[in-house]
Amino acid sequence: MSLWRQFTCGLRVLGNRKAADRDTADEVNHYLEEATAAFVARGLSPDEARRAARLELGSTTAVREQVRGYGWENRIHILFADLRYAARILTGNPGFTAVSMLTLALGIGASTAIFSVVDAVLLRALPYPNPQKIVRVWEQAPDGHRMNLANANFEDFRGQNNTISHLAAYTGDLLTSVAGGSEPARARVAAVSSGFFQVLGIEPFRGRDFSAEEHRPHGAPAAIVSYSYWRDYLAGATDLSQFHLRLMGGVYPVIGVMPAGFDFPAGVAVWIPSELDPDLGTRTAHNWRGIGRVRDGITVAQVRANLSTIARRIKDQYGKKVDLNDAAVVPLADAIVGDVRTALLTLFAAVGLLLLVACANVAGLLLARTSARRKELAVRVALGAGRFRLMQQFLTESFALSFAGGLLGILLAVLAIRALPAILPANLPRQQEIVINTPVLLFALGAILAVAASLGLFAAWRAVRGDVQEALIAGSRTYTGGAASHRFRGFLVTGEIATTLLILIGAGLLGRSFLRLISTTPGFRQANLVTIQFSLPTPLNFSQDESAIARQIQQLDELATRLRAIPGVQSLGLAGAMPVAAGDNLADGGFLILNGRKPPTNFEEWDRIAQNPSHAGYALYAVASEGYFRTLGIPLVRGRIFGGQDGLHAPHVAVISQTLARERWPNQDPVGQVIDFGNMDGNLKPLTIVGIVGDVRARGLDSPPSPIIYVDYRQRGMNLNASPTVLIRSTARLGEIAPVARGIFHDLAPDVPVKFSTFADEMGGWLADRRFLLFLVGLFAAAALALATVGIYGVVAFSVTRRTQEIGIRMALGAQRSDVLRLILGEGARLAILGVAIGIAASFVITRLLSSLLFGVSATDPITFAGVALLLSLVALVASYIPARHAMRLDPNHALRYE
Amino acid sequence: MYEPNTDVIQGTLDMLILKTLSLEPMHGFGIARRIEQISRGVFKVNPGSLLTAFQRLERVGWLNSEWRQTDKSRRAKFYSLTRSGRKQLEIETTNWNRRASAIARLLKAEG
Repeated sequence: MSLWRQFTCGLRVLGNRKAADRDTADEVNHYLEEATAAFVARGLSPDEARRAARLELGSTTAVREQVRGYGWENRIHILFADLRYAARILTGNPGFTAVSMLTLALGIGASTAIFSVVDAVLLRALPYPNPQKIVRVWEQAPDGHRMNLANANFEDFRGQNNTISHLAAYTGDLLTSVAGGSEPARARVAAVSSGFFQVLGIEPFRGRDFSAEEHRPHGAPAAIVSYSYWRDYLAGATDLSQFHLRLMGGVYPVIGVMPAGFDFPAGVAVWIPSELDPDLGTRTAHNWRGIGRVRDGITVAQVRANLSTIARRIKDQYGKKVDLNDAAVVPLADAIVGDVRTALLTLFAAVGLLLLVACANVAGLLLARTSARRKELAVRVALGAGRFRLMQQFLTESFALSFAGGLLGILLAVLAIRALPAILPANLPRQQEIVINTPVLLFALGAILAVAASLGLFAAWRAVRGDVQEALIAGSRTYTGGAASHRFRGFLVTGEIATTLLILIGAGLLGRSFLRLISTTPGFRQANLVTIQFSLPTPLNFSQDESAIARQIQQLDELATRLRAIPGVQSLGLAGAMPVAAGDNLADGGFLILNGRKPPTNFEEWDRIAQNPSHAGYALYAVASEGYFRTLGIPLVRGRIFGGQDGLHAPHVAVISQTLARERWPNQDPVGQVIDFGNMDGNLKPLTIVGIVGDVRARGLDSPPSPIIYVDYRQRGMNLNASPTVLIRSTARLGEIAPVARGIFHDLAPDVPVKFSTFADEMGGWLADRRFLLFLVGLFAAAALALATVGIYGVVAFSVTRRTQEIGIRMALGAQRSDVLRLILGEGARLAILGVAIGIAASFVITRLLSSLLFGVSATDPITFAGVALLLSLVALVASYIPARHAMRLDPNHALRYE
Repeated sequence: MYEPNTDVIQGTLDMLILKTLSLEPMHGFGIARRIEQISRGVFKVNPGSLLTAFQRLERVGWLNSEWRQTDKSRRAKFYSLTRSGRKQLEIETTNWNRRASAIARLLKAEG
């Protein structure tokens, strides 16, 4: 009741301050009149009575003010007055206001934009019910290496655990041709076991989940499609029964559509039951990714202990037939983010430092202005303004400034987030979730409040300290701040330089890593390479029989012949995967060295032989054509490459990389050795090594050259794991080749989707995340450098103004211009040296955190450190040179009279 | 020279205003005069404090105010007690009596 009265009364006063003031005045006047009348009644003359009444009442103005000061509305009134005053001050000083606002907008805008990325990728919960209950599950090798699940092990984990309510397996997504919609598409397909959608807790929004019948081994085929596939290729139809997708050689009726936003594994358009093509039940074919939902009341650690026990039991039971001895369990959110975390946190740290530099800059500007306003402040204090009241005034000003800058910053962030998709690396998980939402706005608001409060308190503290009298006296001259406040500005700038140095060193280390990386040769010539990725028109299995391979060879040969005839094509190669750019997706595994032994007739025998380490080796498996080596320019070191004599029925041959030759046959000649790599393609025919070729960094430029075994596509064919690629070295450009090549593909295989690119672009995609990080950290470093330059310039220029008279005296006493120059430059240099020293000390500690992002440079790379220190010192000197030159050119006569 | 303290005892101004108004609605000066007269000049009310106290008491809901025409055709603000103001007066009176008699006892005991 009384609160309500407080509120309404205050509101009424606020609404009509004038009427309220008149009421107060009337009441006071009435009081005065009554008092006068009372004195008259006691027998005083009217004049005496009025005097006596006034004496009793005191100053009517004071009484009015006292009454007026009551109530919460008065606070608001003062606030408005302060705001009006702040607005006048800020608009009266447009240069200061614009620079401060832009500086703050830059800092707050950049941090908000980066926070929106951090929020979407690292902080926000996954869009599944109880996402913290979802875990990824791996087998773990004795060396701690995580492996996907082998089918038989997965079945044991699923059957024997008591901590997971649903455990499911799924394949890595497979990019393949999907027909049956409005047009054929290259789409990602994932095979998923029963329970997959229950683990994630999301059901199809149209149609249904796979039934038990469809999850039975060799059960009925069925497909669930993503929302976007349904919308784009199935026209968003209500009746799904009309659609049958043709993919990987089968026909799959569409039975369900997942809701919009369901994106697991990322980018998948079609899910099919994994039980359609059950594998051999081996315990070392790590083909399945495991995902589980933890039972209520169970922790991730308990799940891990539970699965570890099962893994050890498997190890005890099967001994050398398995390669696991433990299990790894990680919350899904952590597993998805993976190693992006370090990069994002680095970015966030860099932008945070930038905000710090921006604040220091504005604080420096505020300090200069506070010094200039000391006289005004002194007068107000002398007139009775309380310190608290003055502090309130300064807080209001800094809040107005920070909010204006902050709102501009949010606007910048909105624009930046719109532009982000163009520069975000494609492999950044969850990036489609990046939006400006409430947490992001709250972050921006928090940043603004923190900036406003720290700047306001800082300015207020600087303003109200010190002796009023001194300021009043000093104010008789143009007063530019005492030595203490100047020292303080120097302090700020030193911190600014140190912080800037830290960002610059981070950017420098990333930049040098990037340069190292792109100057690393992959082992072949990258220029003028056109790439064509496509799917084969015939269905692929893991193990291809001879007639299927023969058919495939015929198709590929026809394709290659016609593509080779395109004008400008110099040479052409076929491969089962794109080297370097495919990165971790290349097939790899153990192979057998037969040494005259009879080749195994089945995989159990194969496994037995592989248990003897002297009979086994490890390599990447690459399907290639004869032209592949010539097209990429991979040199032949010894022996020969594939040739016309290596037909389907001739003895199968292999070419190996130098690294493999060195690693596996250090003191022997590998040429002529017979090996078996049938576990890669299901074909147990032995391979005879006929040649050694130069090394290729097939796993990526940041990895050492890999051991590789190349097999001839004319003998082995391409299987399910291959993503067939044509590589063309040509003088013609992609734009000239693509239309002709497209026509050829259309003639030969109308259903096959084809992707044209250049090797440089594919590599660009591979480098995208590093380039993104480098670009942004570099941008922040440049911004920080610009701010620090302005900061140094500001301090030194201010010092020149402050010391104008001193300089005049020095010159009058015979100081040369070069002395003055040295004097002023020295001031800038002192700040720079101190700042650089602090920055380097801090960097030594902090850059270690970057180690995992660096390539070929150490976290304390002396060249980067020295280079950045030199750069920053130079910039500091240039920034102080401008005011120094001004000081040097002062006319002593003029300077002496300077006020 | 000793000048007797005529300040209203701290914390009692509200109670004195409420008591004065419990008789009849009055304007500011009337209240001040009444307090002075009844206390036989022991208490003199500071006009600034008085007028501020009116604001406070009105906000809390113990007083109502209205503007009336005076005989000299000027506006005067008259205050009257509300029901909750009357209740508050009872509370404060009881409270005060309790404390005053306690002080009186203490002073007697010492003497």
